[in-house]
Amino acid sequence: MPRAVDIEGTAAGVEAGGRDPPPSTPLRVVVTYAAVGGLWILFSDRLLDQLVAPGPLNVALQTAKGWVFVLAGAALLYLLMRRDARQRAAVAAQVRAVLDSIEDAILVVDPGAHVVDANRAALGMFEGLLRGEVEIPLLDLAKASQMRMADGSPVLPDAFLPARVEGETLHRAAVVLHRGEGREVQAEVTAAPILERPGGPLRFAVVVLRDVSELRRRDELQDEFLATAAHEFKTPLAVIKAYVQLLQRRSTGEAAALEVVSRQVDRLSRLVQQLLEVARLKQGGPELALAEYDLSAQVREVLGRMNRMGGGQRLQATATAPAAVRADRDRIDQVLVSLLDNALKFSPHGGEVVVSVDRAGTEAVVSVRDSGLGIPPERQRQLFRRYYRAHEGDPDDRGGFGLGLDLAREIVSRHGGRVWFESETGSGSTFFFSLPLAPEAPHVRA
Amino acid sequence: MYGRDGHILVVEDDPDLLSLEAEILSGAGYSVDVAHDGHEALEMAAARLPALVLLDMRMPRMDGWQFAKAFRERHGASCPIVVVTAAENARRRAEEVGAAGFLEKPFDIDEVLREVERHLGSPPVSSPVP
Repeated sequence: MPRAVDIEGTAAGVEAGGRDPPPSTPLRVVVTYAAVGGLWILFSDRLLDQLVAPGPLNVALQTAKGWVFVLAGAALLYLLMRRDARQRAAVAAQVRAVLDSIEDAILVVDPGAHVVDANRAALGMFEGLLRGEVEIPLLDLAKASQMRMADGSPVLPDAFLPARVEGETLHRAAVVLHRGEGREVQAEVTAAPILERPGGPLRFAVVVLRDVSELRRRDELQDEFLATAAHEFKTPLAVIKAYVQLLQRRSTGEAAALEVVSRQVDRLSRLVQQLLEVARLKQGGPELALAEYDLSAQVREVLGRMNRMGGGQRLQATATAPAAVRADRDRIDQVLVSLLDNALKFSPHGGEVVVSVDRAGTEAVVSVRDSGLGIPPERQRQLFRRYYRAHEGDPDDRGGFGLGLDLAREIVSRHGGRVWFESETGSGSTFFFSLPLAPEAPHVRA
Repeated sequence: MYGRDGHILVVEDDPDLLSLEAEILSGAGYSVDVAHDGHEALEMAAARLPALVLLDMRMPRMDGWQFAKAFRERHGASCPIVVVTAAENARRRAEEVGAAGFLEKPFDIDEVLREVERHLGSPPVSSPVP
């Protein structure tokens, strides 16, 4: 993540002084030059006096020697400066090349909100509006490109530029630009201020615009696909499920077989639902439809339903104290079904599954205890990982996508609760999840 | 109470599901019309105004949203609509078209009957086994 940095580049990894050449040591060159020059002046005169007797020739040679010294000094100075200039140019070109190779549009903005530099991607995004060297007020640029905030509101002067820089400031925003021929660009903007020194005034800001149009389009396509998939899978499931139920009501002969078909259809429905959910959650998930209700009543209802649907009365409730929660009923239903289903699935030799609802401080805690296989310690850590199946390949492998617990945790944590478990190989597992209790409704009304 | 002769219009593009829904409802004693898309449903509603509409959302030609809008424009809001949907957030779908209720696919027969009864009351000829 970009951070506010000062011009000395003290913040991690950012070298704001990058335009300067790497630090050379001019002192060494100067000292060498002074030493050589001093020695030359001292000893060359003595040498000359020894070789040539004082007279007109000696004077002429002295003068010539002076000129040679000056010319050599000038040449040396020239070479040093040229090398330095080339280094600077090379570094500048390198920095420019790096900036230009970045796909995100980068604008360098001065404290007066003028764009003073832009990389190639920025020139492309603001085609025809930005030219290399021209300074243009950021707001004019926003106006010319018909930039709006993603919610449709206009771009304000301090939309990207932090008005005051306090510590590490970073602005994030989503904008939409309208370019020629009805081209719409959706961009995510981040702005990182570069300071003169830590805590000092703003020197310039780096505004990065990431073109996310393609990403958004893909999201929309995926949404569309999910809706279609849901429809395509669930409609045939609905037909099968209801016909099985009709047959169950009419005939008495094939009750056991129909019971199995019904159970498998329910299982298939849950798997389809899980796949859709997990795809949806990757995109941030649907909004929760929150309502206040009694969690204990819901637990009893789900137990009853699952016992009727082939649970065979193995699910038992104990200690279900009334616990009003504010939650998405359907989602919590799903969490319960998932945990109960696991409990049944992983106690293949039967045995009761005991469910309780307790109030603990400001939370309601549901526990689901089975006396089944338990989870080996070495697999416990990965249990909530998406697609992880603790019993994969075991003789006890009961199938599934490895999504149930991942989804349960996601749903519960979005409610502000958590999921955890205790387990011992061979003697079963207890899964817990908590939900915040609904705040007591005020009894007094105006 | 059994309102407006308990006539139900079922709109669903999948023919199997459509005939199934019709079978469940007529088996329970309701009179049922079926339509395969929004257009057909509007024509049927014009011929005989239902007391309840069971509405699928994703259909060819005219989908559930378009149907609900056109239906309300012609017949007002007196006839409740129950959305039958495979969407993940059925409740929101229902809100979008101002529906009185929703059924999530795949549904239980009992859920369908309960939801219909909630709006129409028990059918005149009540038969527990359709």
